[in-house]
Amino acid sequence: MTESSSFQRVLPVADLPAGAKKPLSIDGRPLLLCNANGKLHAIANVCSHNEKPLERGRVGNGWIACPTHGARFDLVTGKAMCLPATQPIAVYDVRVVDDWIEVAVPV
Amino acid sequence: MSEVKEDQRQAAAASKGEARCPGAPSTQEIIAADKVAAPGWVRSESYRFLGDEDISKDRYIDAAYAQREIDTLWKKTWQFACREEHIPEVGDYHVYDLGPYSFIITRVAQDDIRAYYNACLHRGTKLRASGTEGNAEEFKCSFHGWTWNLDGSHKETLCSWDFPHVDFKKLTLPQAKVERLGGFVFINMDPQAPTLADYFGKEAKAHIDAWKLENRYVYLHVAKHLPCNWKLAIDAFLEAYHVIETHPQVAPSNGDANTQYDVYGEHVNRFISPLGVVSPHLYGKVSEQDVLNQFTLGDSSALGDTKFTLKDGGTARSVMAEMFRGMFEQATNTDLSKVSDSELLDCFSYTVFPNVFLFPGISLPMVYRFRPDPQDHRRCLYEVLFLRPVPKDGTRPMPAEPIHLEDHQSFKEAEGMDPGFGAILDQDTDNLILQQQGLEASAKSGLTLGNYQEIRVRHFENAVSKYVA
Ligand code: FES
Ligand code: FES
Ligand SMILES: [Fe+2]
Repeated sequence: MTESSSFQRVLPVADLPAGAKKPLSIDGRPLLLCNANGKLHAIANVCSHNEKPLERGRVGNGWIACPTHGARFDLVTGKAMCLPATQPIAVYDVRVVDDWIEVAVPV
Repeated sequence: MSEVKEDQRQAAAASKGEARCPGAPSTQEIIAADKVAAPGWVRSESYRFLGDEDISKDRYIDAAYAQREIDTLWKKTWQFACREEHIPEVGDYHVYDLGPYSFIITRVAQDDIRAYYNACLHRGTKLRASGTEGNAEEFKCSFHGWTWNLDGSHKETLCSWDFPHVDFKKLTLPQAKVERLGGFVFINMDPQAPTLADYFGKEAKAHIDAWKLENRYVYLHVAKHLPCNWKLAIDAFLEAYHVIETHPQVAPSNGDANTQYDVYGEHVNRFISPLGVVSPHLYGKVSEQDVLNQFTLGDSSALGDTKFTLKDGGTARSVMAEMFRGMFEQATNTDLSKVSDSELLDCFSYTVFPNVFLFPGISLPMVYRFRPDPQDHRRCLYEVLFLRPVPKDGTRPMPAEPIHLEDHQSFKEAEGMDPGFGAILDQDTDNLILQQQGLEASAKSGLTLGNYQEIRVRHFENAVSKYVA
């Protein structure tokens, strides 16, 4: 990353059980937290295809599929896995400190 | 030596297709000696002589033949599109492609799965990209936004005032037929197609029902393109005749030349290849302890690093069966006490025409699927899916994502693949480019088949001929 980022507390871990998703906004930036297959992910809640929200998308083994036209994104890298998207979505580092989920957002 | 010659002479004199490997026990005799008895579907035979003419090679090397298959065979046969676990929730879909065809396999309601032709009814854009999955509350086209409900009915058209000539009530997404069996979702593009039960036939369907494959999940899924016609790739897995030359490392623990072959109706055939017994080609050359040492497994990750030893008087096969039962029970958290030695050890290979192999055994719990490359009749896509029993506590893990290998990669490189089995697949597929090229170079117009050991190849190619004619 060229820009610097800092971790922010966003949600108690207990509020994101296995399989759950949680949309939220940090500094006006729409994010989506996912607890999928035992891993936490923080991604942009905006599809790179037509800027529709991803929050109602299906989460599979390491991916999320946009509910609007079906573009699929890698939860770890943000890479577009199929059309109609070709551009990646933003992904953010996540960690758990004192039972809180913290997300690194650019400052 | 003179005894063997006499056996061979008698075999030649026997009526066509009746000769069997001389001096070796049959697969049924091997299984009959096991401690935990095998079920009826294992202990039966269904061989038929189907002719001994050469198979004309044009079906493998002629692009026009491949096009005819697209126009006929693939439109009329039942095809495995996905597992039910690929679309567990209402709204979940999985895109299945075959040649130029594409379908959105969608769970419309808890117990209602449909296969929509994957094309917008406005100007044809695919509604979902190929090779993907997801969940939809509606299907919206990415071009002008025409939208269909999950049940296929038309929902919305932008500027509908401009389409007074379109009856939107009738603008429902066309569907292929869908049937389910053993956790597999099958589709057929032919509205006149027989039911899946009729397509399998009574006996073969009863076998498949007995396996309860709905209680398994996809634990590993590997895909790779192969440099040959799809039918050559399938043919390569239909017999154990090639084991001694192609997989010499397997032969010490595989009854290759005494493998059993069966055909059922037009669409299903099988072999039972006994494991834990020595190849008749190696009689007198290896000991029972060698058999034990060389046993090659498809899913040996479940076994860890354990080594086996033979107690006095025991056969390698009986020792293997006992140890397998215990170790697979532990590794997969399932109860196998009533499962026969044969089901634990042997390789059961079934094909469902045109392009699916089911291996219901415990040591090789797999599914193969082969699809033609729509751009090139000399290429095909091969997939292997390993199916493990759903854990006793009932939680079904998500199906594994497919790992796509590049052409130059070994099957051993797929994460989670047993290296011994990956090596076997490499051996199988390395022959195929040579065979494709050889058929094209050959002065001979066809392929010659053995009457017994290659009966599945003939049975399969007969079905191809029937559909393409
Ligand atoms: S907005 Fe996500 S795929 Fe079109
Ligand atoms: S092609 Fe689909 S809406 Fe126009
Ligand atoms: Fe092989």
